[in-house]
Amino acid sequence: MSDGGPSDPLARLGDRLGRAQEEQDRERSIGRVEPSNAGLGLGFRIGIELLAALCVGLALGWVADRFLGTRPWGLIVFFFIGAAAGMLNVYRAAQGLGRSGSRPSRD
Amino acid sequence: MAAEQSPLEQFMIRPIVPLHIGPVDISYTNSALLMTIAVTLITLLLVVGARRGALVPGRLQSVAELSYEFVAGMVRENIGHDGIEYFPLVFSIFMFVLFGNMLGLIPYSFTFTSHIIVTFALALFVFALVTLVAFIRHGIRFFGLFFPTGAPVFMAPILVPIEIVSYLSRPVSLSIRLFANMMAGHTMMAVFAGFTITLGLFGLFPIAINVALFALEVIVTALQAYVFTILTCLYLRDAIHLH
Repeated sequence: MSDGGPSDPLARLGDRLGRAQEEQDRERSIGRVEPSNAGLGLGFRIGIELLAALCVGLALGWVADRFLGTRPWGLIVFFFIGAAAGMLNVYRAAQGLGRSGSRPSRD
Repeated sequence: MAAEQSPLEQFMIRPIVPLHIGPVDISYTNSALLMTIAVTLITLLLVVGARRGALVPGRLQSVAELSYEFVAGMVRENIGHDGIEYFPLVFSIFMFVLFGNMLGLIPYSFTFTSHIIVTFALALFVFALVTLVAFIRHGIRFFGLFFPTGAPVFMAPILVPIEIVSYLSRPVSLSIRLFANMMAGHTMMAVFAGFTITLGLFGLFPIAINVALFALEVIVTALQAYVFTILTCLYLRDAIHLH
């Protein structure tokens, strides 16, 4: 520990705390698998991501049809847009997983 | 109430203090009661935990400091150092969801996070706030979020709607994830508990399964609170840095 340094036990403790914190930060930035990435939760997350965008797309299409009177077309077009957005979401989620451990705080 | 109860009966909202303003029902329900308890417990934990301010923390202070450090680390890691001004918000969301999930595990209590209207309101609040932050910080450049940089301009009619739908799906996926996890877990436990009675002597097996499920549920409650919070952080980061 800090030999010859501050004899005040409080300062010494602060010193040690600071060092421990630094070490922890370093460990964190090296990267470690986060618990959210594990198995079941991951699959669930991806599934929900896909579903949510599809639902939003359908809802938008339905609303558009109702107020613009374009009966089937809004729903059809927005269904495909929603599906595409869902896949985009899944892609982003999967991409984020690969990166989440080693990301330094800003890409 | 019938003796034979459905596994979904636990999610029923019951008014405790009936209140009506005109046609609007604002009764104080069991859901509201649990929310009150959650907020009270969080406040107590933090106030009592921080009161002594001992250098070597006791048990309660340790819990309070641990939760603070955990969320602060999450904010620092995911938003960056300029994100620390959002710490109070992120911390409140984390504690509220965590306590909501945890309190629901106590038998005969109620899980307010298993109701989509609660989680959707929370997610919608986060969504509105994130959009507002992006607007205030970047003004009109916020709309650049809907068009990926480097894409050819003639692709815009396809890309922009997709990006907009993807953006709008954030609060939906955020709320469904939390609500579905909580509801599925609690329903599963109730179903197995129901087997216990009908199976008689062999009811021991469902009990064993329920014990395991309960352990899983404890993990899920913490994990879902964590996921909800970390996604809030990620959305805030997007709003601040606007990739």
